[in-house]
Amino acid sequence: MKPSSSNGTPYRRSMLSRFGFNFYDIFVYVFCILFALLCVYPMWYVLVASITPYEEYVKGGLMLWPRGGIDLQYYIAIFSTRSFINSLWISVSKTVLATGLSVLVTSTMAYAVSKTQVRGMKVINALVVFNLFFSGGLIPQYILYQDLHLLRSYWVMVIPGALNITYFIIMRNYFTYSIPKDLEEAAKLDGCTDVGVFFRVVMPISRSMIAAVTLFIAVINWNDYYNYMMFIGNKTNLQPFAWVLRRMLVDQSMMNTVRNGAAGMGLELPPPMALRMATIICAMLPIMCVYPFLQKHFTSGITLGAVKE
Amino acid sequence: MASPSTIARSPASKTAWQRFVAYMRKYWFIYLLVLPGLICMIVFNYGTMYGIQLAFKDYSPRAGVWGSPWAGFSHFRDMIEDPNFIRALKNTVIINVYKLAFGFTFNVLLALLINEMKIRKVKSVVQTCVYLPYFLSWVIFAGLVQVFLEYPSAADMGGVVNQVIVSLGGTPIDFLKSPGLFRGILTVSNIIKTAGYSAIVYFAAIAGIDPTLYESAAIDGANRKDMMIHITLPRILPSVAVMLILELAGLFISNFDQVYNLYSNYVLSTGDVLSTYIYRISLGGGTEFELSTAMNLVMNLLGLVVVLLANKIIERLDVQGIF
Repeated sequence: MKPSSSNGTPYRRSMLSRFGFNFYDIFVYVFCILFALLCVYPMWYVLVASITPYEEYVKGGLMLWPRGGIDLQYYIAIFSTRSFINSLWISVSKTVLATGLSVLVTSTMAYAVSKTQVRGMKVINALVVFNLFFSGGLIPQYILYQDLHLLRSYWVMVIPGALNITYFIIMRNYFTYSIPKDLEEAAKLDGCTDVGVFFRVVMPISRSMIAAVTLFIAVINWNDYYNYMMFIGNKTNLQPFAWVLRRMLVDQSMMNTVRNGAAGMGLELPPPMALRMATIICAMLPIMCVYPFLQKHFTSGITLGAVKE
Repeated sequence: MASPSTIARSPASKTAWQRFVAYMRKYWFIYLLVLPGLICMIVFNYGTMYGIQLAFKDYSPRAGVWGSPWAGFSHFRDMIEDPNFIRALKNTVIINVYKLAFGFTFNVLLALLINEMKIRKVKSVVQTCVYLPYFLSWVIFAGLVQVFLEYPSAADMGGVVNQVIVSLGGTPIDFLKSPGLFRGILTVSNIIKTAGYSAIVYFAAIAGIDPTLYESAAIDGANRKDMMIHITLPRILPSVAVMLILELAGLFISNFDQVYNLYSNYVLSTGDVLSTYIYRISLGGGTEFELSTAMNLVMNLLGLVVVLLANKIIERLDVQGIF
């Protein structure tokens, strides 16, 4: 992004100052800004609608700004439902555990495999990447977890994803191309062992990359409901927040539980849509909190299919 | 005769062993680092492969995978004769072609146009906005889509889109239940969610363009639109080609997350894709374990062939392949 400012800037700036905005500029800005609005307006709408008092909410409208004050009744209704609190705890704990394990396993393996001069590493690399395109599928996975006694247990949401193949490739490329070979060699000349190189040279240099990958994997784990849905099924005490959110969106009984709970507390019977929106906001919140850090990192080469220049 | 040869061989094998030990002593740390990942891969990725034999067997839970009797290719025959499978295959390919035709071109266009914005503040705000939806899960995003397209009911006044339609004097449309609109909804929601993120690759390519090209073009009297078409676009074509091929490689892969969170029984005719169909006939209520494994195997093989072809082409293009 940055370098485009240097691309013939003197010329373009003079164009701009001489003619001001021409039709082309207007098109560019209108197009981009409209698309940006299309991306964020839904979230804004949901946020505003979920804090609008009931009397204002039922009037409908575009909800560009909260009218009639802020009312958190839907959030109160949500947070007084027991399964929500439990699912939040499940989501937080499994996100922390799964992310920690995954980053540890994936980054060490990626570093080792980036040492292609060591025998066997090329084979291992090919074996890992092959898995990106070929897997046993749902039922073989189910049977495997059954044999490993992982089925219907908490750990099925933590352990099987330990090796993240997408981030394995990204990290391997980083270790191969972005760490100067001279640096490692110089350290070795100074008497550093492989262990020393890894902990004293490679890890400090890769700190920000690993932080970024950690965030990305954490977001994936936070959003994950697939493992619960497929391999745990109906143990409600293990359901993650993403799954509760999904149930709120599709499952009438879950919705009724929350609504009746709210009615039991003497609140207005909340409209299903408004409750959904409040749930969406709850699920979005943690991601919004880490988004500034995500954005800072992913523009600097944390993308798959990096093009060699 | 025997003893000299064994004597001659044993020192050689001993040195091979010694060489192995020396090699291990030199690189033990690298092998140690690779070990946890290797174990995970063998157990959780290759461990599932033995279950693939189910595609050729009649599974009985009591006998287990190994003990179940062989069934030959009967499940594959069932698969080809299953009209729902053919429908899901067709839907998968059509939806992916839509995404390619509209989504892919939109990504390139968006990257080019964002790059044309010269007010830094506006540009960075726009970028922040367009990257954001990528990080929301499909559950959340599907929730947003539902909230916006909701059909008016007794308890609610419907989504914003229908509110607007009603206020303009039209009749509300039940978007998520009309088969004719479902593929369009998938395509558009996919664009909104991923276009910004996909554009990043092109920004990187644009950043690599030699600025003197623009300067000399300016001297020759080119305007900015000409520069975009004749300089920027050709320069990012290699990246576009790579992304196109990667996209093509996923022709048979359907986005389970997206479709599963948006579809319903009303739109199966146009919206049911392979992954949702495989789920429905196996863990999602059905008992067709062998059939679904067979389908998965065929999908994987088809996908693998396309990916290998794609990687060959990428290598020709002198850019870094995936392997």
